[in-house]
Amino acid sequence: MQLELTEEQEALRDTVRKFIETEVPLTTVRDLHGEPDGFSKDWWREAANLGWTSPFVPESHGGGTLSGRATSDAVIIAEEMGRLVAPGPFLPVNVVAAAIARFGTESQAEAVLPGLAAGEAFASWAFAEPGDRWSPDAFETTISVSGDKVNVAGEKAYVEAAGVADHLLVTGRGEAGLTQVLIPARTPGLTIVPGRSIDMTRRYGRVVLDGVELPATALVGAAGAAQPAVEYLLRLALTLQCAEMVGVAERTLQTTIEYGRDRFAFGRPIVSFQALKHRVADMALWVEGAKAVGEELVRAVDADADDAGMLSSVAKVHIGRRCLDIVDDCVQITGGVGVTWEHDIHMYNRRAAVDRAMFGSPEAHRRLLLTHIERQTPRGAVR
Amino acid sequence: MSADIESVEAFTERARDWLATNLPSWDDELLDDVVLQNRIFDGGFGGLAFPPEYGGAGLTLAHHKAFYETADELDRQLPGKYWVSIGMVAPMLLERASEEIKQEFLPQILRGDIVVIQLLSEPRGGSDLAGVMTRLTRDGDQYILDGAKMWSTNAYLADYGVCLARSDWDVPKHPGLSMIIVPLDRNDDVTVRRTRMADGQMGDVCEEFFDGVALPATNLIGAEGDGWSVAQTLMAHERNQTAGVGFGYLGSGNTTVMVVDRSALAASLAATARARDVLDDHSQQLADVFVDSIVTKLTSARIMRGQMLGTHEGPWGSAGKLLGSEAGHRAALASLATTGADAVVWDGDEISVENAGTAWLLARSSTIGGGTSEIQRNIISERLLSLPREPSFDRELPYSEVVRNASKF
Repeated sequence: MQLELTEEQEALRDTVRKFIETEVPLTTVRDLHGEPDGFSKDWWREAANLGWTSPFVPESHGGGTLSGRATSDAVIIAEEMGRLVAPGPFLPVNVVAAAIARFGTESQAEAVLPGLAAGEAFASWAFAEPGDRWSPDAFETTISVSGDKVNVAGEKAYVEAAGVADHLLVTGRGEAGLTQVLIPARTPGLTIVPGRSIDMTRRYGRVVLDGVELPATALVGAAGAAQPAVEYLLRLALTLQCAEMVGVAERTLQTTIEYGRDRFAFGRPIVSFQALKHRVADMALWVEGAKAVGEELVRAVDADADDAGMLSSVAKVHIGRRCLDIVDDCVQITGGVGVTWEHDIHMYNRRAAVDRAMFGSPEAHRRLLLTHIERQTPRGAVR
Repeated sequence: MSADIESVEAFTERARDWLATNLPSWDDELLDDVVLQNRIFDGGFGGLAFPPEYGGAGLTLAHHKAFYETADELDRQLPGKYWVSIGMVAPMLLERASEEIKQEFLPQILRGDIVVIQLLSEPRGGSDLAGVMTRLTRDGDQYILDGAKMWSTNAYLADYGVCLARSDWDVPKHPGLSMIIVPLDRNDDVTVRRTRMADGQMGDVCEEFFDGVALPATNLIGAEGDGWSVAQTLMAHERNQTAGVGFGYLGSGNTTVMVVDRSALAASLAATARARDVLDDHSQQLADVFVDSIVTKLTSARIMRGQMLGTHEGPWGSAGKLLGSEAGHRAALASLATTGADAVVWDGDEISVENAGTAWLLARSSTIGGGTSEIQRNIISERLLSLPREPSFDRELPYSEVVRNASKF
């Protein structure tokens, strides 16, 4: 996705690709479908050793970046994961690590980050609420501070890897505004309702918070002041997700083109028919557009640029829509075998559909963009 | 190239001073294109990347780019009618024409004293460009030109055209073509007609009829039979023009660049939709106008970066053209839908007004002109993705036979 990588980043990409190809190839992904967690914890420790959990964790706590740009490093891994629909709670662990490293206290960092970085502990962001609510304006979960206690009540949904999480970063409404707390999973009053997803290996869960009482030290950032943190974490989650979808789309398209070259009908490779060639050409440009907006988003997120929020929505609209269009049309080009269990393509459709839906659909992000659009100065021949 | 060539930085400073004192701003009274180009040339800033022996300044494309960027930065007037002549034809002549032609034509073209355009497409079509039917017949030391051309941009204000014609019907398609210079200001045997477009206005494109036009054999560009390869040189410069790079980049005065920022258009569509109380119906489509605009711009910038890094060569130019023109077409559809009944019905007895409906009548121009979207998709799939070529019925046979076979297909 990124046209220019540093030497260390190129080495990371090659190592990650090789590690996924040998340790969790598609045959393993099929096997993991039956496993409750969808990944092996031993394997995750190896992944962590290769740096999968390092970018957002400071060196003092067992992490570190290769390029000095954490997001730029992380999307290299996300994109490779998309290529082989790899398992593992990459997004939730890294997003929570970023939240604690950037907005948490030093004692939270000391308590949580080394475990996450080593692949020994797990964390997830309990952000959205049931009914496909991804906009904090619509959240009902309350986080109220009284003295040195914090009380949390509500329900969070679509929480990735909730079943294995040791720590949950919960976003809710406080008296003074958006507030976040880090809650140990085994806290009284916190119930995790495990769930599955259409994805082969990605598990989700609902988090029910009923009479949860925590010390005020559980607050991540000041009560009521979490808006900027939430915006940053949402941008980061979208960036990682979009990079993964770029990998999904590009790999599916490549595989489908190769298949179309080998398969003959009416005396010629099916991909020589213009009816297919023109669709393939459009898809190749959608992938290129996805990479272009993806790498611009990475730049903006790493730099905390003013346009990062806008770009994250533009990326989600384009990539969320086109990645699904691509895997969907590739099934059509593949033909009958494309809707069988035996063929690999359904594993890509599964990942594409989940990524499209999490952290706001393209439709929801178009709505968000409308506010930005209406702030531009109108110009153009419209009467 | 000499080692003591003026640095781009020093040149830019010199150009800045010159531009500020010698060219008017767009707010001043508008000058005629010829006056502007004469002034640029006489000031030493015409044909910056052309060799001095052809009237150029002997500098590089980096100097060329810096000049036009600085002119735009200072908001200076630039001429609008030379983008084919100076941006596309002149660099093609430099690469492909005889010494005599270069000596005679290039200084006049670069000074803006003459305009030379391209005569490629024909009334029967333009996508199958190598299938042109205009006839070029050798007669002693002359050629006779017969036939018709169409979609020739700016032919109505041009002095000459470079014309792709069939000089041999007994060989296959491509080697049967030649490129020749034709004067367009002749009364009896050359007719140039501006094409009236679907919106009722006269277009910049024209139709030309050639009726036994006698031309000296020295007007040929390249040898007889080299026409296709010369046409490809020309089209490479056309793609650069569309992408706003190379010789084709001539600043804001001369632009047909497809990749434009439509965020302001999206904003006015949103305002229109709100005023008409239909924002809910159109919000998704309007947001896509904005998203398309951002993604297209970023993709085009990535391709340009990739061209410098060596990762995005050659046919990637087709990608920018396809993305930009398709996005423009979708924006026109969004304008038409958002403006609804008020885009197609108005008060008063004006027979045509500038509105979203009228604009939509021409919205397909950009996905057709300069190589249709279908041709761009062929180029992308065949040359970029290396998919098999279309089976052809016209590559091996003499072209006269191809025409006979097609009529019996």
